[in-house]
Amino acid sequence: MTQGDASHASAVIFGLSPLWVATTLFVVTYLVIMSDKLNRAIVALLGAGLLILVGVLNQEEAMRAVDWNTLGLLLGMMLIVNITRRSGLFQYVAIWSAKKVDARPWGILLMMSVVTAVFSAFLDNVTTVLLTVPVTLLITDELKVKPYPYLFAQIFASNIGGTATLIGDPPNIMIGSATGLTFNDFAVALTPVIIVIFVATMIPLYYYWGRHLHATDENRRHVMAFDESKAITDPRLLKQALTVIALVIVGFMLQRQTHVEPATVAIFGAAVLLFLDNFGKDSETQSRNVHGALSEAEWITLMFFLGLFVLVYGIQKAGLIDLMADGLLKATGGDFKLTAIAILWGSAILSAFIDNIPFVATMIPLIKAMGPTFGSEHALLPLWWALSLGACLGGNGTLIGASANLVVAGLAERAGTTFRFIEFLKVAFPLMLISIVISHAYIYFRYL
Amino acid sequence: MNPPTIYQTNFPKLAATDTVGAALRQMLDDRLSDLPVIDASGALLGMFKLVEVYATLLPKAVLLGHGVPDLAFVSDTLGQLREKMDEIEDDPVRNYVVKPDHVIHPETPPLEIVLLLYQGANNVPVVDRDSGRLVGMVSARDLLTALDPEKPK
Repeated sequence: MTQGDASHASAVIFGLSPLWVATTLFVVTYLVIMSDKLNRAIVALLGAGLLILVGVLNQEEAMRAVDWNTLGLLLGMMLIVNITRRSGLFQYVAIWSAKKVDARPWGILLMMSVVTAVFSAFLDNVTTVLLTVPVTLLITDELKVKPYPYLFAQIFASNIGGTATLIGDPPNIMIGSATGLTFNDFAVALTPVIIVIFVATMIPLYYYWGRHLHATDENRRHVMAFDESKAITDPRLLKQALTVIALVIVGFMLQRQTHVEPATVAIFGAAVLLFLDNFGKDSETQSRNVHGALSEAEWITLMFFLGLFVLVYGIQKAGLIDLMADGLLKATGGDFKLTAIAILWGSAILSAFIDNIPFVATMIPLIKAMGPTFGSEHALLPLWWALSLGACLGGNGTLIGASANLVVAGLAERAGTTFRFIEFLKVAFPLMLISIVISHAYIYFRYL
Repeated sequence: MNPPTIYQTNFPKLAATDTVGAALRQMLDDRLSDLPVIDASGALLGMFKLVEVYATLLPKAVLLGHGVPDLAFVSDTLGQLREKMDEIEDDPVRNYVVKPDHVIHPETPPLEIVLLLYQGANNVPVVDRDSGRLVGMVSARDLLTALDPEKPK
């Protein structure tokens, strides 16, 4: 414990050990989050508030603990998607892709998976499945085929695609923000292996479901009769949105040259799109549009992150992270390769059962704490990729492994298709393990 | 003015076992979009609403509230919609009963009824608080009738 920490210990309520107080609050908060009995944003904010009230952190430290870059990037991208979706872009792409394969059932499954993976790489994957799954249900309804294989494939595609880039999945956003790794760093390191994993996932799905899918010619004609051009409800907004999205991605790619953080790029992009969408409109319409875009942001996720950052900083300051890092190093004997592989597999298995966001929030300072043992920050790079691949892909292992899984299951339930935990696990867990085996080989041969 | 002068005590109603076809014909005859459904004791089970029938004509994906905001790109014909209607004609109305958005009681003040109707409610069931029996229905038209200046006070 540093001198600063020691002097701070006296400020903790009843003179209790900050380490014990922070650890207890942290563990209780995580257990309540895992129980799903209370909204996770409420739990995280309560935990964070209690850490301050009992004196583990003060207000200033709590504010410094919040990673505003992560929050800004998430909010900016949420706003851009909320405005863009009004144009009908996502329906257009989904219908277009279904028609490109002549409405053949396996072709549609493959194309919808590709569309979902690509959208998930550049947008939040929960938003992606919210926009694409209803179109899938509409198409499977017309084809009169069971939607389960399609939705299952989309769950995998969203989590796999989201792993490919800095902005695709919240764990990557957090890792990027904490380490300074850029959009290009993520794309160069992760996109190649993600393409391999995507293909390796689709092959078993073809043999398990794809080759048995069948639709009559008449039902396929129904889908071919869809006019995707009529899905575009606002061509002007579509052009504006595509331009802004392209510029935002260019902004991410030029981060190293411009030194402009992704959060600034995303928030500025959202502001420009709001400006373009509202320019020349009366004040009442402007208020309605802006209010709509802002209110549809996922505030639960944002507030959850806010609370988590404070909680994790609490245990970090109290010394728990250092203890955990020491424990992991002892377990792996300080062997770098073993540590990287342990992080990959540990992250994957744990993320299959627990929310990967709090897990990654805890792992980031833990990996940073191992920095002095393994040398420079650059030397830690394989550990970050191991964490990203493990935490993001591990979410595919069970129905509760990632938010996108639960969102798809919820939509499916409302449309009459039930997703059961065990039934999903039987197919999903082995597929997830395949993706981790590939990641293992990739990290080992490329980085270790 | 008392509530009994606002709501109708003589109104069409359905039994849970009535068919959708019969209910729709009654709706056409009486120019109504919602009908109350009662059990054998006269207690309100819920409402049979035309919008719920229309929902069965739509792809389920549209009802999810996300992703498919319109269906301009789908080219179904009126004939296809009629085929879907034929499929549900013999279903019992109990399959389509929904909880009423609002329920009022004989003692509900007139101004509250006006507020409900102003907020867009229509064909609101009037239920006896003690017995749960359906005793009347009130619509915007019933209110207009009650407010008619030529009607004796």
